[in-house]
Amino acid sequence: MTAHSGNGGDSTGIRVASVDDIPEGEGIAISSDITGTDDDIAILRKEDGTCWALNDTCTHETASLAEGWVEGDDVECPLHSSTFNLRTGKVDGLPATRDTVAHRVEVRDGEVYLFPGERP
Amino acid sequence: MVASSVASVVVVGGGIAGVSTVTELRKNGYAGGLTLLTADPFPYDRPPLSKAYLSGAKDLESIALQAPEWYAGQRIDVIRGLAAALDPAAGTVTLSDGRQLSADRIVLATGGWPLWPDIERVVRGLLDRPPAGSGIPRSTTGIHLLRSAEDADGLRAVLLPGARLLVVGAGLIGAEVTSTARKLGCEVVLVDPANPPIAAAVGAQVAEWLHSLHALHGAETVTATVEKVESTNAGVVAQIAGEASPRTFDAVLLAVGMVPDTAMAKEAGLDVDNGVVVDDHQVTSHPTVLAVGDCARRQGHRRAEHWEAAVHDGARAAATILGVDAPAASAPWFWTDRYDLHVEVVGEMHEPEGEHEQVVRGTLGEPPFTVFTLRGERVVGAVAVDDPKAVRAARRMIDRGVDVRAADLADPSTDLRQLLRSAR
Repeated sequence: MTAHSGNGGDSTGIRVASVDDIPEGEGIAISSDITGTDDDIAILRKEDGTCWALNDTCTHETASLAEGWVEGDDVECPLHSSTFNLRTGKVDGLPATRDTVAHRVEVRDGEVYLFPGERP
Repeated sequence: MVASSVASVVVVGGGIAGVSTVTELRKNGYAGGLTLLTADPFPYDRPPLSKAYLSGAKDLESIALQAPEWYAGQRIDVIRGLAAALDPAAGTVTLSDGRQLSADRIVLATGGWPLWPDIERVVRGLLDRPPAGSGIPRSTTGIHLLRSAEDADGLRAVLLPGARLLVVGAGLIGAEVTSTARKLGCEVVLVDPANPPIAAAVGAQVAEWLHSLHALHGAETVTATVEKVESTNAGVVAQIAGEASPRTFDAVLLAVGMVPDTAMAKEAGLDVDNGVVVDDHQVTSHPTVLAVGDCARRQGHRRAEHWEAAVHDGARAAATILGVDAPAASAPWFWTDRYDLHVEVVGEMHEPEGEHEQVVRGTLGEPPFTVFTLRGERVVGAVAVDDPKAVRAARRMIDRGVDVRAADLADPSTDLRQLLRSAR
């Protein structure tokens, strides 16, 4: 699933999706064209409804974390099941050995705002 | 920090089981001395050896299991060398060059060797299982094995467009190499007596479809055994059973399985029976020696040869050394890739007999799809092709022992996560 909109980056962040667009336990990928970052960014929604953001590409092999399985505080890569902490980007399970980057996300009035490059 | 009574650990072997052991030890607070002995230049991941590394898409550095600086940061001494002898009572490992390592606990992660098929062969100069990392090439006569990066280097050198390759054995390695070689433009003949191969692992239906992909992608598949392989000046001449004349190839890959490397353990007097026999804590018949990964077999279990099983072994061994509970077990899982398809298998793929039933989610042969095996209302296994969420859901269904209805699994519109939630 990919994002459909963006409104440019400023102190209010980039509006990237409505929360309801992201099923609990799943994610969407926001294009680097929108985020202005080197990598696409995955917006991942935990089962408690909160949203988190990580660089989208698994640090092990090219796979989209937005297609991964979100459970607890981790997202599990769809290819080889490397796991990354949603809050920190730290790798929690092999085969990936390098951390990924976590970005700040805010949800306001049911809309998800992304702050690329800002730590959660 | 964990207060372990174990002051020092030596891990013999730098594959995924060995690296998992040291990773888990440090991750869980082990503060003692830690040494990792590896025969290779550095510990690297083996699954890419038949795929991205073999094709040249990845180099050795890019498949390192950990970055070099990680070991220093974790205070792990990585020593390159070959273990030659083990003395459990003295707590020592002697290297082939005479160096000696000693520790309170020794963890054997020696892996295994490619199995030699029972083929009559006349191979000039072919050495029988020279040790990995010894610098002795195993492929000087056009006959190749594939276990180490060195092996993959030798095979890659001959996988030129138009090269004629015979692959003996259509298991995971043989099938992956066939796929890689076809991508590189080689002519490939894949021979295996099983029809279809790997049916026990993925079920007959999926196995048949997977095997059919080889022909679809231009490889020739032959259901037979290979009776003779002979290295000649003209190439490698192979006699396939049932064929009137032998065929000539530029190279042959023997990929018929592996045998655990247990020689040192056996000489040291440890119990060995199709692997170094260990208990549920990875402890061998000597209390200060543990064994993990391909070289080990848990008593009462079949020996596992998969990547993730080795990871779990390492985690269990680390927990044992630390004196803490081992992580919870999960259903066995492995993956394989061929022809740009990603295949994942979890649990056991029993054939539909007795209480077992197989359910297809999607359409078999049209990825993404998943085949589940159920016993009653319990999922016991699943094979997913390009369907990662389904296999992750299946694993949790198996681990949690949830009841599901076959009709729900078969319906692609059913939210599998919702099925899991509702079953809690």
